[in-house]
Amino acid sequence: MKKRLLSVLLVGTVAMSLVACGGGGKKADSGDSGSSADSNKLTVWAWDQTFNIKSMQMAADEYAKDHEGFEVEIIETGSDDCQTKLTTCANAGDYSTMPDIVLMQDNSYQKYLKSYPDAFTDLSDMDVTWEDFGELKQAYSMLDGKHYGVPFDNGAVIACYRTDILAEAGYTIDDLTDITWSRFMEIGQDVHEKTGKYLLMNQATDGDLMMMMIQSCGANLVDEDGNAFIVGNEVVEKCVDLYAEMIEKDVVKLINNWDEYVQTITTGQTAGVINGNWITATLMSTEDQKGLWEITTMPKVDGIDTATNYANNGGSSWYITSNCKNKELAMDFLASTFGSSTEFYDSILPETGAISCYLPAGESEVYNEPNEFFNNQPIFSTIVEYSSHIPEFTSTPYHYESRECINTAVGNIVDGADKDAALKEAQKTLEFKMTE
Amino acid sequence: MISKKKGMSLVAKQRAAGWAFLAPATILIAIMSFYPMIRAFILSLQTGTGANMKIVGFSNYARILSDKVFQQSIINTFLYLIIQVPIMLILAILLAQLLNNKDLRLKGVFRTCVFLPCATSLVSYALIFRCLFAQDGLINNVLIKLHILNTGYNFLGNSTSAKIVIILALIWRWTGYNMVFYLAGLQNIEYSVYEAAKIDGANGWKTFWKITVPLLKPTIIMTFIMSINGTLQLFDESVNLTKGGPANSTITMSHYIYNTCFMNVPNFGYASAMAFIVFIMVAVLALINMKVGDTRD
Amino acid sequence: MTKKNKSASQRRLIPTYIFLVIVSFISVFPLYWMIAAATNTSTDVSRGKIIPGTYFIENFRNLISQQPLWGSLWNSFFYAILTTIVCLLICSIAGYGFEIYHDKAKDGLFSVLLLAMMVPQVATMVPLFQMFSKAGLLNTAVGFMMPMISTPFMIMMFRQNARAFPVDIIEAARIDGLNELQIFFRMFIPTMRSTYAAAAVITFMNAWNSYLWPKVIMQDNSAMTMPMLIANLITGYVTDYGMLMCGVLFCSIPTMIVFFVLQKQFAEGITGAVK
Repeated sequence: MKKRLLSVLLVGTVAMSLVACGGGGKKADSGDSGSSADSNKLTVWAWDQTFNIKSMQMAADEYAKDHEGFEVEIIETGSDDCQTKLTTCANAGDYSTMPDIVLMQDNSYQKYLKSYPDAFTDLSDMDVTWEDFGELKQAYSMLDGKHYGVPFDNGAVIACYRTDILAEAGYTIDDLTDITWSRFMEIGQDVHEKTGKYLLMNQATDGDLMMMMIQSCGANLVDEDGNAFIVGNEVVEKCVDLYAEMIEKDVVKLINNWDEYVQTITTGQTAGVINGNWITATLMSTEDQKGLWEITTMPKVDGIDTATNYANNGGSSWYITSNCKNKELAMDFLASTFGSSTEFYDSILPETGAISCYLPAGESEVYNEPNEFFNNQPIFSTIVEYSSHIPEFTSTPYHYESRECINTAVGNIVDGADKDAALKEAQKTLEFKMTE
Repeated sequence: MISKKKGMSLVAKQRAAGWAFLAPATILIAIMSFYPMIRAFILSLQTGTGANMKIVGFSNYARILSDKVFQQSIINTFLYLIIQVPIMLILAILLAQLLNNKDLRLKGVFRTCVFLPCATSLVSYALIFRCLFAQDGLINNVLIKLHILNTGYNFLGNSTSAKIVIILALIWRWTGYNMVFYLAGLQNIEYSVYEAAKIDGANGWKTFWKITVPLLKPTIIMTFIMSINGTLQLFDESVNLTKGGPANSTITMSHYIYNTCFMNVPNFGYASAMAFIVFIMVAVLALINMKVGDTRD
Repeated sequence: MTKKNKSASQRRLIPTYIFLVIVSFISVFPLYWMIAAATNTSTDVSRGKIIPGTYFIENFRNLISQQPLWGSLWNSFFYAILTTIVCLLICSIAGYGFEIYHDKAKDGLFSVLLLAMMVPQVATMVPLFQMFSKAGLLNTAVGFMMPMISTPFMIMMFRQNARAFPVDIIEAARIDGLNELQIFFRMFIPTMRSTYAAAAVITFMNAWNSYLWPKVIMQDNSAMTMPMLIANLITGYVTDYGMLMCGVLFCSIPTMIVFFVLQKQFAEGITGAVK
């Protein structure tokens, strides 16, 4: 009796899980492996329905015109989640669950190349003229002279200003074009006094502005050998000084998160925004500010020889994983769409607003169309032109670490901490993080 | 019927049934938790990435001693624990007691209202708190209207007030959750006990401390252990409300461990070592808790 | 009770009502905000408008054109309900076993099991993933629920509550010839309805909202759940707050309904029937 009971219990448990299996065992068509076994289908991880995913879908449709039956299956995966998933399967030593193609933030790619060098496919032999993408953009996805990624989304930094607020203080967009940060500060103080508005805002928790300033000088928080280089780094010290002064003088408004950032724009409390050009999509969603915005170059750091008015923030590229069963197809697909077709870039621009980093695309008619929102400036060709001037700098797998260290230091300095001590601390923390 | 069976005595059979009852759960926990835990422990003795791991002994644990950010995260987390957990649990018992009143009308509605916060999806909850405490958010607007403040205060930009916002958010979100256990626990206290207390002339406050709290003791211990565990592994609030900022002043241990694995250059060996430190802390606190309260009388 | 008595007791409850109304207001306000936001345009939401607007239909239309809302809702329901049923069964029988048949060895084992919940999930995720991937359980409901169906916490909850289950009932049932499993199913489960209802609410909610593990193990679009859908709405370059809040509404309401339906079960005296 008792024994029967025990067996009933155990059978019951097993049965439950079997029912669960049967009921919910919806496996993917492609089985357990992430990449597609179907010879004419590629799986892709990407994020943003209206932007990256739509562009990818259009590329696939384009490619399918000459390649019958070709299709992509896009699995929507946010960029943070994409990192979590990639790291999990790579660290589990199980590349078989990776998709064929994956979209990745430019800033995060070097760390994958360092940690899991065999997880991606070398694309150097692909039928693409790499020089057409600009030096910097290529560097993000290169290691030891080999190409691993097809650059897609352009991250060139633009400065956008509300011309109505500038006019109120007696300035025009030309007064803010190709200037230095000290001049920017003078204008900013004036604007704040006359209108009560800030000329710029910055998200205190993510350190974007600081990184843009440093990288616009072709510098980084590491030296040429990749070692932590904060203390004694002339560019960093200068940028920290400028930044702290701008906060103190009410030129830059500090805000805490992305929602506040958007809110500050939509409520018209800021006269300017400096960010990667993808910010235009957010600006354009505020329809009642149409015609009031114009774009120009960002200010450059004073007193630094290598300083420029150009930098990069954000942007992403396509990568082919080593799990891809059909590498030739994947390469041919990327090469003939994202890699070389100005027609393709012309077709996705009006639909998605995705601005190419493929420099020849900037010359087309579509790219030179005036944009109503930006007071009829041809912003797309301008942005592509900016991206050709961005200086190169030493990239590091420790991008997020270094950014976090400098950001913590800057936060403390703005709060009144001693600058030298804070930078020393940042240097120490970064060195610590670079050891294993 | 039972006694007719040969072999096993009644007691032995009951004992066997007892073991059989807890077998499925135990086996599942062994596979789903203990096995990965052992793997993680082995990992904590190694360094490297992916397949290229090499054994380094306890150097990952030694590394913690010089990791100022992790130390900061320990302090932050314990601050949350000490301040938030008692407030939340007392509030939860109080609410459960009030909502257990037979004469109260609209009980279901009130209970659902109190529970609502933890049913709200994390995304909207974080968004709402960020908006409420923004520099020109609702809280600041109200304070300005009441002439308590002149200009908006940057709650999330100051290290002390950001911690307070996190604590408030935690209390808001989890009080109703804990109330559920107390409400369920209260059903096991006979109503006649309260009636008797009333006849004896005990007031509400007295019955609360003299009857409710002692009889709820098993539930209180359980929620305490849960809250210690939940707080020491706190992740969502730190990530979604403040991103650990400003300058790491609100970052929690789990958030930092997550960053070490997935945002920074992955260092799973070190992350596992930190995870085991968290494990030891929770285990010690839970043990104290059980030793102090868990007497089967 | 006479009418007079009743109104007197209601009068005594006035402070309680006031307190509860305040607490409820604080608790409900974000829900109101969510509903208001779901009916406004993104720009209005970010400008802090908290009065309901007329944009709900558009937000909803945008949402279903971009995201598989119905499929995700269905998946979430399916996984959450399945997880809840299996979890309750496994954990309650274990909790019952630990308490009713308790001896030194079982108490010791219980303490050991408790340790299982104390390691941060991040640390165990990679080994777990490896295991599930090898077992071919990626993209399956089993893979989704396995780590969630046997939790020390739920076992503890049933164990603590089983303490209130009178031993004489068990003795009486044994004399009546019921075997141990029958006692559990016929006596324990009906008696502990309130505990089951509370446990169901909590498990359902946890399963419904779980994100990190499902995201890692469910790699297929057809397995998308509501929290994943919400996450997809905030990763773009532009966040449409109106649409986001519309999605969040769909994600939050089921748990609330489950709570409302079950709260009577766990909060209104059932115990008297047995004792």
